[in-house]
Amino acid sequence: MQRRVLEAFARWQEASILLVALLLIAWFENANHDFLLSSASLENLSQFVAPAAIIACGEVMLMIGGEIDLSAGMVFALAPFVMYFAADAGVPTVLALLLGLVAAGGVGLVNGVVTLLLGIPSFVTTLGTLFLVNGLTLTISHGTPVTPPGGSMLAQVMGAWGYSEILWALGVVAVLHIVLRHTRWGLHTIASGANETGAREAGIRVIRIKIGNFVLTGVLAGLTGCLEAFRIGSIDPQAGGNQIMFLAVAAGVIGGTSLAGGSGTIIGGLIGALVLGVLNDGFTLIGINAFLFNIILGAAILAAMLFNGYITRLARHGGGG
Amino acid sequence: MSEHRETLRADNIVKRFGAVTALDGVSLTLRQGEILGILGDNGAGKSTLIKILTGYQPPSSGRLVIDGRDVALGSVDHARSLGIECVYQDLALANSLSVYHNMFLNREILYGGPLRLLNHRAMRRRAAESLAALGVTIPSVDLPVERLSGGQRQAIAVARAVTSNARILLLDEPLAAMGAREAGLIIDLLMRLKQEGRHSIAMIMHNYAQTLDIADRIVLMQHGKVTYEKDAAATSVPELMEIVRREYRAVRTG
Repeated sequence: MQRRVLEAFARWQEASILLVALLLIAWFENANHDFLLSSASLENLSQFVAPAAIIACGEVMLMIGGEIDLSAGMVFALAPFVMYFAADAGVPTVLALLLGLVAAGGVGLVNGVVTLLLGIPSFVTTLGTLFLVNGLTLTISHGTPVTPPGGSMLAQVMGAWGYSEILWALGVVAVLHIVLRHTRWGLHTIASGANETGAREAGIRVIRIKIGNFVLTGVLAGLTGCLEAFRIGSIDPQAGGNQIMFLAVAAGVIGGTSLAGGSGTIIGGLIGALVLGVLNDGFTLIGINAFLFNIILGAAILAAMLFNGYITRLARHGGGG
Repeated sequence: MSEHRETLRADNIVKRFGAVTALDGVSLTLRQGEILGILGDNGAGKSTLIKILTGYQPPSSGRLVIDGRDVALGSVDHARSLGIECVYQDLALANSLSVYHNMFLNREILYGGPLRLLNHRAMRRRAAESLAALGVTIPSVDLPVERLSGGQRQAIAVARAVTSNARILLLDEPLAAMGAREAGLIIDLLMRLKQEGRHSIAMIMHNYAQTLDIADRIVLMQHGKVTYEKDAAATSVPELMEIVRREYRAVRTG
């Protein structure tokens, strides 16, 4: 019986972390009844979870393939500025938004090409573009915030309405979950991370797959930056940054994605982001300060990794293979 | 065996890497339904030969004949399209993926329609069927291959090559680092394939006794040449050992 439960946990990788999320929610709900039931706190929670979840989708795809993108938080800040300057030059807002995403994808393309074709570890490549893109954004913006372009309709859809950002996040999660589990792209991403030489011997175009995932992560980071700009009503050159990038990576890792490549889940990334959001909002509501939050976040990441490893090992051992 | 059709012939294959001659005129033939054991020391050129036969590297000179036709293998994909499949020692399996995903890796069965989604159900069923047909027993095709034993993983890799319509199978040390029970699993599988008679199998081996048990014919490679070739039934472990021993003596006195 106990073995069965463990098997089920290991098979449905997201189950254990979902359980943690639900326990945390129950605990905070008990400590402060306004935690979820008031619409203000629910909206607040969704706005913390959404950006981390969207970028986590890209990072999870990269990490499954054995790569990482440290520059995502800086691309987040760059994309809305590209959109702003395009609109300022007379380009229609929707097109300007697309240009912003193209620029974000372009940074992803550079990350991918340098990493895969020049053989530089992605940790180093994207560390370089992290500073490069940050400097670029600060230079073109002169370090000052601007107001996002466009009418109110577009702004509402693109993040200004309280729940639009979480809807975008759920949409991105749904699409990428299907891509990962039910398309050749997803399967080949996993194979590339699990056994790169083997994947090549099987004829999988590892380089194309990985560069594609870098571009995807860039676009998702840029999209998140634009959504946040419309939500806040201001484009800030200091927005996003390493904080959001590390939150996204942490969400993926808490959700069960291995940094070593070969395994991971998109839904796990969403639940990981939810756990981080619940911790953040919960501690604020019961009056624990931000310094302590980072300590708990760090402990949560370590605990999640140990827990995942432990469950997998137990199930493997118990399976009697 | 001579009544069987020749599926692969290598004629005087030479491979040079700069000043180093890895293969110095290797000739061998492989007939349908037979198992050929390729023996030799490290550095004898066995791996280079396999790489040339799989289209991974072109030979410097020499001729390859497959099914009676002269071919110049341009790539691994080209060799594969002619029915040549190699099972490498690293097995090319993705450990975190399930058995059935591995068996259909890069040959996935898809649903029709514009989305081209993976048809997991069909792959699962077909994988289970072909493993059963080959007599390979594993707990479930849903298990990730990292949960299987070394012998089971090797069996999956061979089964994958077989189900991909390969007719010429090249096995790179299929029994390396395996216990007796595990090795038995693979030997049974190879014997079954031999009975079916649809495949030609060339395997690189280290263990003389095992090779003589499994193979119909053996060739011994030394210094990039085939120095000895005989039906397995007509030779013995001591005879093979004696040839290699002579070689050692020649090196030490020369």
